[in-house]
Amino acid sequence: MSVNVGIGFSRNLKKEQAAREAAVRAIEVVGRDKIDLAVVISTIDYSPENTVPVIKDVLSPERLLGCSTAGIILSNSVETQGIAVLVVVSDSIKIGIGNVDGINETNVYDGGITLARRCLTDFGKYSRKAIVLFADGSLKNNTPLITGIQDIFGNVFPIVGGASSDTFRFSSTFQIFQDRVYNHSALGLLLGGAVDIGIGTGHGWRPLGKPRIINEAEGNIIKKIDGQIAANLYKQYLGDEFSSLHSNKLSQMAILYPLGILVGEKNEYLLRNAVDILADGSIVCQGDVPEGAEVHIMIGNKESCKNASLEAAEQARQALGGKEPVLIIVFESIARLKLLGRAAYQEIELVKRVFGYDVPIIGMYSNGEFCPFESVGEFKRSSFQNESIVVVAFA
Amino acid sequence: MNELSQNLIFICLILVGAIGVLSYLFILTKKKAADLQLSLAKMRKSFDELDEQAKLIVKTDMELNKAQEELDKRLNSLDALQKTSRLISITLDENEIFHRLDQSLMTDLGFEKNLILIYDKNGKLQPKASHGFFEDELSFIVNNLEKDISLCDALREGNTFSSANSPLQRKETIIRLFGVEQFVLAPIITQNGMIGIVFFGNRAISSGITEGDEELVSILANQIGQSLENARLFEEVFRSRQSLELKVQERTKQLESLLEEVKQISKKKSEFVSAVSHELRTPLTSIKGYASILMSGKLGDIPAPAKERLAKINSHSDSLVRLINDLLDISRIESGRVEMALGRCDIFSLIENVGDMLVPQLKAKNIQWKTELDNRVTEVFADSSQIERVFINLIGNAIKFTPENGTITVRTEKVNDCLQVCVSDTGIGISEDDILRLFDEFYRVDNKINQNVKGTGLGLALVKKIIEAHGGRIWVESKLGEGTSFYFTLPLSKKVGENETV
Repeated sequence: MSVNVGIGFSRNLKKEQAAREAAVRAIEVVGRDKIDLAVVISTIDYSPENTVPVIKDVLSPERLLGCSTAGIILSNSVETQGIAVLVVVSDSIKIGIGNVDGINETNVYDGGITLARRCLTDFGKYSRKAIVLFADGSLKNNTPLITGIQDIFGNVFPIVGGASSDTFRFSSTFQIFQDRVYNHSALGLLLGGAVDIGIGTGHGWRPLGKPRIINEAEGNIIKKIDGQIAANLYKQYLGDEFSSLHSNKLSQMAILYPLGILVGEKNEYLLRNAVDILADGSIVCQGDVPEGAEVHIMIGNKESCKNASLEAAEQARQALGGKEPVLIIVFESIARLKLLGRAAYQEIELVKRVFGYDVPIIGMYSNGEFCPFESVGEFKRSSFQNESIVVVAFA
Repeated sequence: MNELSQNLIFICLILVGAIGVLSYLFILTKKKAADLQLSLAKMRKSFDELDEQAKLIVKTDMELNKAQEELDKRLNSLDALQKTSRLISITLDENEIFHRLDQSLMTDLGFEKNLILIYDKNGKLQPKASHGFFEDELSFIVNNLEKDISLCDALREGNTFSSANSPLQRKETIIRLFGVEQFVLAPIITQNGMIGIVFFGNRAISSGITEGDEELVSILANQIGQSLENARLFEEVFRSRQSLELKVQERTKQLESLLEEVKQISKKKSEFVSAVSHELRTPLTSIKGYASILMSGKLGDIPAPAKERLAKINSHSDSLVRLINDLLDISRIESGRVEMALGRCDIFSLIENVGDMLVPQLKAKNIQWKTELDNRVTEVFADSSQIERVFINLIGNAIKFTPENGTITVRTEKVNDCLQVCVSDTGIGISEDDILRLFDEFYRVDNKINQNVKGTGLGLALVKKIIEAHGGRIWVESKLGEGTSFYFTLPLSKKVGENETV
């Protein structure tokens, strides 16, 4: 199997120059062969209208996609400002890409189906291994997107990825597909062929306080908890802070204290961020919430986050079945960046400890993660999570 | 009948028993239920208490997270400040300072927008480094900031303004001017007063300015001021040095030109002297010749007074010829036209010969003649006849200036690759001022002996030329009233001598 991978990064304040530097550094490793895939991850101030044309000019990649992020994960650092480019040259990995634009609450399921079909368009009859998603971070409910994709690929087909983010403003983000820039899009990167993919996930958040029951819920909206309006839960825990919280301010605070839905027999918690409070006191989450489920406020700390990172890396390594990885892609929740602060890189150190210090690593901090969830059904069915780390190893 | 009533009684008894047992069980169950209710209530209460603690934990955790975030932000800013300060303090180029300030470190300080304005030579503010502003915004800021005299005056007094501490009107003015919600505005102060302004700001109203932010910006402003001052001082010193170097170069060129002129003049002088001396020699020879013929009586008897006068003509002609010959020798040596016939020269014999030659003069004044010769060196590489002239001149002078009963000593000593010769006397000595000019052409020390004895003043000049033509060196040590020592060096071999044959 021949796979060449290059990663370049720049934090030059001049956007076009930064894009050029990142692209040039990426191809320094792989040489000027035909680039099969380029992935661009940048912080929000590196507007893609400036950067994408430069990257296309330097790399002329066959496929280009990417999105905005609150932070870029690299082998040797975590950067909260800059642009990173991943290039892949391979004659053995089969790649299919697709995008669907203008997704919102009304069409997100159909969007998932369309996206999956588009990824399959030029894929051919090769074995499919996993799909990597880059979705719009402002999408209120991501569960139907996954459901639509699973209806095409199957319930246990691995779906990994993240939702685009910005610098904790929870405002507008962007997605890049080929030479176009979108704000409300979902992108898919289907991988298959002669490639092995190991996936590991974890979060490190633990339940706090007494369990409560979701009495009334509809899709991603929780209406009543323990017989009271749902918002009372946060009001009780956040106290005076709660009165000033709405919309993006709520998100800035609530990402540290998500709701944990107890799922399955293994006491695993599906985490849900509260992204808004409606006028009637209902809580809007980023993914579906089952009615009648037990729910807790969840809390995490630096130690539990790092332990979860180590576990996720070990899971991914085990899943590779002893093969040596050539690339690690990491999707992490922005909540972990907020919680860990300057210690964020320690998580990546742990990932390196598991896989080795020479394996190239690239990743992003996302506003929600797509990953297989242990307790959902008998097999690891993928779902939308929050506060998680997803380690994807390629061999 | 009895059997029936017995059965009935038995059944009643059983029923009563059953009812009793059931009542007992009922009471027991009710009690258990009550106990369970109580336990449940207790558990519920514990749960509630735990939940209350959990709420406290969440609130505390929130505070800690906020504090951690603030601390992280502060540490990042300090880190960036330290890196920025280091970068700008190690350069002495003003433009390079601003180039380094323009880097991404400035955004690491935690602000979305930053701007540095410096006063130019005309007293106008110029943007030198900025991030987050368009060109037209910069023009707007500069124009309006200069118009706000009270703000500029306040800054000039060293005041720092921020969105957290400024009076409302001033705060609103600055917010409007820079298009931000949160800001810190600080002056750049040096020993020459305010030389510029530093601005940092954020658009989002949520990111409040703290005392730490104000301090950070003030420190950076100070650092920029110091670095600029150092750079300007260096520039000043550098320019002064350049100007000085230029002046030195100009002056050196002038001196070189003058030296060349002097050399030309000297050359012309030598050529003139040589030409004139040649021209003078021919008629002098005639004068001397005719005087000799007349004195010989071949043309008839000459009266005694006439003879006396003819003898004087002869004697003076001889003096003139010696003067002309000396001048010609000096001129020839100066121009390099003299031929030094260098070869092995027996210095011991040479000194002995000169001593013998001068015995009459030595005896006339009862001067003791001494030689202290280094046995390691008996030969030198020199023109014997020219060196003999040197000895004759030096010893002749020693005899002239040494009073009766004095001593003249000739010493030789091997020093490295040379023979050092010393001719010393116990004569009248020479003053320090005269020593400086002793080897100048035509220079004669002003003393009673020179006043009475005629001389050309060319002897020592010629001696010096001869020694230097051999690659040697000559110098004198003397004290008035205590005697004089003339030193000169001669090469021992070919390698040392410079002017072998010209």
